[in-house]
Amino acid sequence: MANLSDKSRWLLRHFRREWQIYLMLAPAVIWFLTFLYTPMYGLQVAFKDYSIFKGVAGSPWIGFEHFQTLFDNDDFIRSLKNTAILSAYNLLFAFPAPIILALMFNEILNQWYKKGAQTIVYLPHFISTVILAGIVLTAFSPSAGIVNTVLGWFGVDPIYFMSKPEWFRPIFIGSGIWQEAGFSSIVFLAAIAGVNPSLYESAVVDGASRWQMMWKITIPSILPTILIMLIIRIGNLLEVSFELVLLLYQPATYVTADVVNTFIYRQGIQSGQYDLAAAAGLFNAVVAFILVMTANALSKRFSRTSLW
Amino acid sequence: MSGVTLEKIVKSYGKIEVVHGIDLVVAEKEFVVLVGPSGCGKSTTLRMVAGLEEISAGRITIDDRVVNEVAPKDRDVAMVFQNYALYPHLNVKENIAFGLRIRKESKANIEKQVAEVAEILGLTEYLERRPADLSGGQRQRVAMGRAIVRHPKVFLFDEPLSNLDAKLRTQMRAEIKRLHKRLGVTSIYVTHDQVEAMTLADRIVVMCDGRIEQVGTPMDLFNHPKNLFVASFIGSPPMNQIQAEVEASGDKLFAKFGAHRLELPMLHELGANDHGRKVTLGIRPEHIMTQADPDTDAIEVELDLIETLGSEALLHTTVMGKPFVVKTETRGDLSHLENVRALHFKPDMLKVFDGVNGDVFDHPERLK
Ligand SMILES: Nc1ncnc2c1ncn2[C@@H]1O[C@H](COP(=O)(O)OP(=O)(O)O)[C@@H](O)[C@H]1O
Ligand SMILES: [Mg+2]
Repeated sequence: MANLSDKSRWLLRHFRREWQIYLMLAPAVIWFLTFLYTPMYGLQVAFKDYSIFKGVAGSPWIGFEHFQTLFDNDDFIRSLKNTAILSAYNLLFAFPAPIILALMFNEILNQWYKKGAQTIVYLPHFISTVILAGIVLTAFSPSAGIVNTVLGWFGVDPIYFMSKPEWFRPIFIGSGIWQEAGFSSIVFLAAIAGVNPSLYESAVVDGASRWQMMWKITIPSILPTILIMLIIRIGNLLEVSFELVLLLYQPATYVTADVVNTFIYRQGIQSGQYDLAAAAGLFNAVVAFILVMTANALSKRFSRTSLW
Repeated sequence: MSGVTLEKIVKSYGKIEVVHGIDLVVAEKEFVVLVGPSGCGKSTTLRMVAGLEEISAGRITIDDRVVNEVAPKDRDVAMVFQNYALYPHLNVKENIAFGLRIRKESKANIEKQVAEVAEILGLTEYLERRPADLSGGQRQRVAMGRAIVRHPKVFLFDEPLSNLDAKLRTQMRAEIKRLHKRLGVTSIYVTHDQVEAMTLADRIVVMCDGRIEQVGTPMDLFNHPKNLFVASFIGSPPMNQIQAEVEASGDKLFAKFGAHRLELPMLHELGANDHGRKVTLGIRPEHIMTQADPDTDAIEVELDLIETLGSEALLHTTVMGKPFVVKTETRGDLSHLENVRALHFKPDMLKVFDGVNGDVFDHPERLK
C-alpha cells in the first residue's frame, strides 16, 4: 500500500514537472484515439448480425459466422490470393526500386543534372492517384494510347491492356513504382548522405573503384535503413494501394485484380454488408499484425536493427 | 628514394586560395609534422599529397615520380583519418584486410599480413570484433593497422589522435613513434597540437594561413623561432610577450618598457639607428627567474594565481597590462612561490621581434 502511494506521489510530481511535454504529446494522442481507437469499437460488428437500425451495441452476437461465410466465398479467397501475389510482386520489384534509384542518384556527379533528375522522379508522387490512374488508362488505351501507338510502329495489333487479366499485375506494379519510387528514394538518399565521407576517402586511397565502394560501403551502411523500411513495408504488405486498384480494375480483370480491400469495399460499402466487410477487414489487420511482428523479430535477430 | 617533394603547391576552392605556394622536401624515412592553428591548410596540403584534392598549381613528387595526375590508389600512400574511417559493418580483421582485398591479393597472403599487423599492434585478440565494440585507442590501432598492412611508401596522418582523451593520446603518440622507428616509412603527420608535433617530429613544419612559417627540428623551432607566430605557437605555456621600444645609448642597445630598461644582446639587423623602434620582447616561461624582493634590475610583479603541476608550477601575473606566465620548480613546496615579488631574466634568453611584422632579430653568429 505504501508502495502504491509512493508511486502515485512520484507520478504526480513527474506530471507537475514535465507537463509541457505531455501537452505537446496530446494532439497526437487525441488524433490516435479519435480516428484509430474509437472506430475499433465498431469492430465488434464482425462478430454480430449487424443492423444499422439496432446499432452496434444492439445487434445480436453471432460468433464467427461471418468468417465462415467469408472463407466459403470464392471471391474472398480469390481476393486473398490476389493480395498475396500483388504484395509479393511489390516486395520483389517495388521495394528495391527506390533503393536502386537512390544508389544511381548517388553516382551522378553533376549537381545540376542530379537535382533535375531527382525533381522529375519525385513529381508523380504529388499527382493525385485519380489523375495518375487516368494517365495510365490513357497511355494503355487501345485506340490512342502511346503504348499501342509505339507497338503499332512495329506492326503489333492494338492490345486491350486494361481488360486483359494477365496485364493487370505488371501495369499495377509498374504504375506504383512510377508513382512512389522517386519519392521513397529520399529516405535512402538521406541514409547515403549520412555515411561518413572519410569511409569513401579511405577506400579511394586504398584503391577501391566506385562499384566496389557502392557494394562494400554504401549498401552495408544503409542496410539498417533498408531493413527498417522493409519491416514497415511488410507491416503494410496487405495494404496494396487500394485506390489505384479500384481505379484501374474492371470486372473483366477481377480475376487478377480484386484484392481484399476492394472486396471489402464492394461488399461493405456498395452492398451494405458492413458486418461481413468488418470481418474481412479484421482478418486483414490480424494478418498484417502478425507480419510486422515477425519481420521485426527476424530483423532484430539477424541484423541488430529493429523498429522497437 | 621514397621521399615526398612539394613544389610551389597552391590550392584554390573556386576563387578562394587557401594554400599559397608551399615548398617542402620530406626525406626518405623522415617523420615530418605539419602543425598550425585550425584552418591553416594542413589537411588540404596532406590531402593533395594523398590525391584526395586536386592540386591547383605546383608539383608533388613521391619517390621521384610526379603524382599530380596520378590516382590516389596508384600513389602508394596510406592515410589514417581523424575519425578512424573504420567500416562499421566489418570486423577488425576485415577492416585491416580491406585494402588488400580491394587489390585482390590472395587469401593466404591476406591472412598472413593481417595476423602480422595485428601482432604488431596488439590487436590479435580483437580480430573478430566490430569497431562499435572497441575502445577509442583500439579503433585508432585498427586504423593504423589498415595503413600499415599495405606497406605503402608514405604514411599520411590527419590528426589521428584528436579524438582520444589526453592519457590515451600520450600513449598512442609513443606508439606511433615506436612504429615509425620500427617500420621506417616516410610519414607526414598533421596536427594542431604543438606538443604532439614536438614529441613526434624529426622535423616540424609550422603553417599559418596557407603558408609555411618555418621548418626545422623541434629544438630548432623552440630555440630559434623565425618570427613571433612560431615563437608563440611552439612551447607550452606559450612564450610571454612584452611590447617595448629600442633605446640606443652609447654603443649599447636597450629595450624600454614602462619604467624598465633591459640591455639587449648583440642582434643582427638592429643597431644604433634603430633608436625608438617598436619591438616585441619574447621570453619563455621556463627562462625566467623569480625573487622575493625587487632590486633595480628586476621587474616587480604581483601574483594573480599559482597553478600547481606537481614538480612544477605556473605563476600567473601581469607585465605591462598583459598576462605573463612563469614556469618554475616547486621542489615539493609552494610556500616559497607565494613570496615571489619580482622577475628577472637574462638578456641572452630574450628574443626580440620586429614590432610591425613580427620577424625575429637573431643573434648575428647564428645566421652565418
Ligand atoms: N571543400 C572546401 N571548400 C572550400 N573551402 C575549403 C574546403 N575545404 C577546406 N576549405 C578551407 O580551406 C582552409 C584550410 O582548411 P584545412 O586544410 O581543413 O585546415 P586545417 O589546417 O584545419 O586542416 C580553411 O579555411 C577551410 O575553410
Ligand atoms: Mg584539418
